[in-house]
Amino acid sequence: MKEDTPSLFAPGGQASPGTAFTLPQSKDGGAARLVTIFGSLDPHGARRAHYVFDVGKPAYSEIVLPADGLLHSIARELPGAAWHERELHDQYGIEIVGHPDLRPLVFHDNWPDGVYPMIGRVDDVPWSQREYRFLQVQGEGVAEVAVGPVHAGIIEPGHFRFSVVGDTILHLELRHFYTHKGTEKLFEGKSVGDGTMLAESVSGDNCFAHAVCYSQAVENAYGIEVSPRALAVRLIGLEFERLVCHISDVGGLCTDVGFSVAAAYATRLKESVLQASVQCCGTRYWRGIAVPGGLRFDFDAARVAELAQAVARTARDFSKIARLIVETPSIQNRFETAGILTRKAARDLAVVGPVARASGMDLDVRRDHPYGDYGKRPIEVPVTHYGDVMARARIRIAEAAISAQLIRDAAKFLPDGSAFTPITSQADIQGFSAVESPRGELCYWVEARGGRVIRCHIKSPSFQNWPAMPLAVAGNIIADFPLINKSFNLSYSGCDR
Amino acid sequence: MIGDVIKRSLRQRSPVIPVEALLGNCDGSRMPEIVADHLTPAIAQKLIEVCPTSALGIEEREGRRCLRLSYGQCIGCGKCAETGQGAVAVARQFNRCGVAKEQTVRLWDIDGRAEVTPPALNAEEARGQIHSLLQRALNVRQLDAGSCNGCEAEITALTNPYYDLERFGIHFVASPKHADMLLVTGPVTRNMAEAVKATYDAVPAPKLVVAVGACGCSGGIFAGSHAIVGAVDAVIPVDGYIPGCPPTPAMLVTGILEVLRRRVAK
Repeated sequence: MKEDTPSLFAPGGQASPGTAFTLPQSKDGGAARLVTIFGSLDPHGARRAHYVFDVGKPAYSEIVLPADGLLHSIARELPGAAWHERELHDQYGIEIVGHPDLRPLVFHDNWPDGVYPMIGRVDDVPWSQREYRFLQVQGEGVAEVAVGPVHAGIIEPGHFRFSVVGDTILHLELRHFYTHKGTEKLFEGKSVGDGTMLAESVSGDNCFAHAVCYSQAVENAYGIEVSPRALAVRLIGLEFERLVCHISDVGGLCTDVGFSVAAAYATRLKESVLQASVQCCGTRYWRGIAVPGGLRFDFDAARVAELAQAVARTARDFSKIARLIVETPSIQNRFETAGILTRKAARDLAVVGPVARASGMDLDVRRDHPYGDYGKRPIEVPVTHYGDVMARARIRIAEAAISAQLIRDAAKFLPDGSAFTPITSQADIQGFSAVESPRGELCYWVEARGGRVIRCHIKSPSFQNWPAMPLAVAGNIIADFPLINKSFNLSYSGCDR
Repeated sequence: MIGDVIKRSLRQRSPVIPVEALLGNCDGSRMPEIVADHLTPAIAQKLIEVCPTSALGIEEREGRRCLRLSYGQCIGCGKCAETGQGAVAVARQFNRCGVAKEQTVRLWDIDGRAEVTPPALNAEEARGQIHSLLQRALNVRQLDAGSCNGCEAEITALTNPYYDLERFGIHFVASPKHADMLLVTGPVTRNMAEAVKATYDAVPAPKLVVAVGACGCSGGIFAGSHAIVGAVDAVIPVDGYIPGCPPTPAMLVTGILEVLRRRVAK
């Protein structure tokens, strides 16, 4: 990863009234895809803004700007930057000029103006009362429907403000960050090893992807070579998580259209592999396994083989039931043309993961920026351009089958050797890593001094994808919202952190 | 098509797990247990140093130096088992789900190498009482006060054909106004505190509140964050605690039934 690319700075480095830079181009000519924007403090306590772009295989490119002055918003050129810039403002108090909407994002009405948690201490922040203005749609027959933060199911909290005419949604405004726990701040002062536990608690059903991504960022920075055995087990874990997540999602889609037999069947398949996982490694969701340097404990090859067999059985059953699902006419009637996210909208908002691949964006970190064991053999990436609920369901069904295949191959040739390489260095480091989590591109950026984390930024795929959801639901009926929402399957906690 | 699916389901044996196999089961939870025979002052000291959530600590009890294990704070990270030289094992049974807060804590006399806290309950007796409660009705409303979604994933699993909570007469309902019990997960975030209180107020009395998971019981790994208010009991009164990060479905079943049993036994 490149740092400080001076040619991209505007003349003079820090132009007035704010710092500007030319947006990077990707190797194939178009605008490079925005990956993330975040802030940090330099050793003197001055604020910096980091912009990470995907300029094409295999490198990510990072631009670091001084940010104690003003920053020019890039959200008008790259709408996918809008939430990142709002977060930068909320966390660091960085002034951003030309932003279309700088309302508070992370902190709600109870948070006092002028308190920025990433600079300085935030003990005993007083309770405040400020006003948040929702966008109001006006006109004859327009009604507002407010949903949440507490939803009518076993789901995470978030607020949806619909403006509807009759049943049809004209506009949806999201208000999230109800589950904001200040996770990035909590990383400060943790030992690089203990940081894994926080990473595992960012998004509960993708905890292994978070743990591996965090670990890789640390390993990359220290230049640690992780053992082949650890890499193989990590690949199995990452694909296991994807399989579980996709089975659960397809089942959830069936629940939302009242196809309860198929839904119950999917929950049964999911539970059967989770129980197989307990037999293999003592945990259902692969917590407490990955750590910087490899794995917390070694795996027994015979048990890994048993897990792979259970996965193969489940994947076989799942592909049968999945075919029945997508071939059922009443399902087709509900899934097809519902919640279309156009390719243009997906590109503008720099959407990632299965949602992007269902809208014609051909990207997958495993293939484009290989990590761990993924560079070894070609990986199939299903892409379709319909962009509707059915497309997202089909992408997940195809990916689940590929995951099972990858697990089978990896379990067959589990390398010998140790599963852990200790980290002895206490050098000052900055490390970056990206992982294709079940929801898409997940990134960690870690800075540490003397073996303690001083800054950890988490770019979760859900943070990137949530702003696209309102575009997909516009024009649909409000009764289809739960279905469309489920087809995106975004994590609230992963987004809010 | 649907006919095929139903036929397929009927051909297979029901995977439902009998209640006897669920109560006290904690497989997959990674909950630790102290093996008192191997406990030494040096090991106890090491254990409290490695614990990331201060679930392990030293406490005086009647003049004796004790190792304290607060299950409500434990995230099951396994660091104590790694460093404990045999003094910490993964628990095979766990009977402290749905209990009162003081019963989520266990103490071991370090020098005497013995547990000083009484057992949580007479497990056999409790099981008998729980059996008499089954198939009555209980409406549960799940409330996420800021969790990572790990507890939600496990609570959702309660409705799958293995755990089939409905067979006990327990239903998840969509509105707090229909609920007898609130199952609250996560540390209560600043941004959710008001909604948590409002949801609690909307549940008609008499009501039961269960704090679920390390975060719900104590704040867990997020304790001390500027963005959270604290554990569930910092905001609303709590009747029972279910430790775990996340608690497994079997622990959730045990906990829900135990809270119910305690309420009826009162």
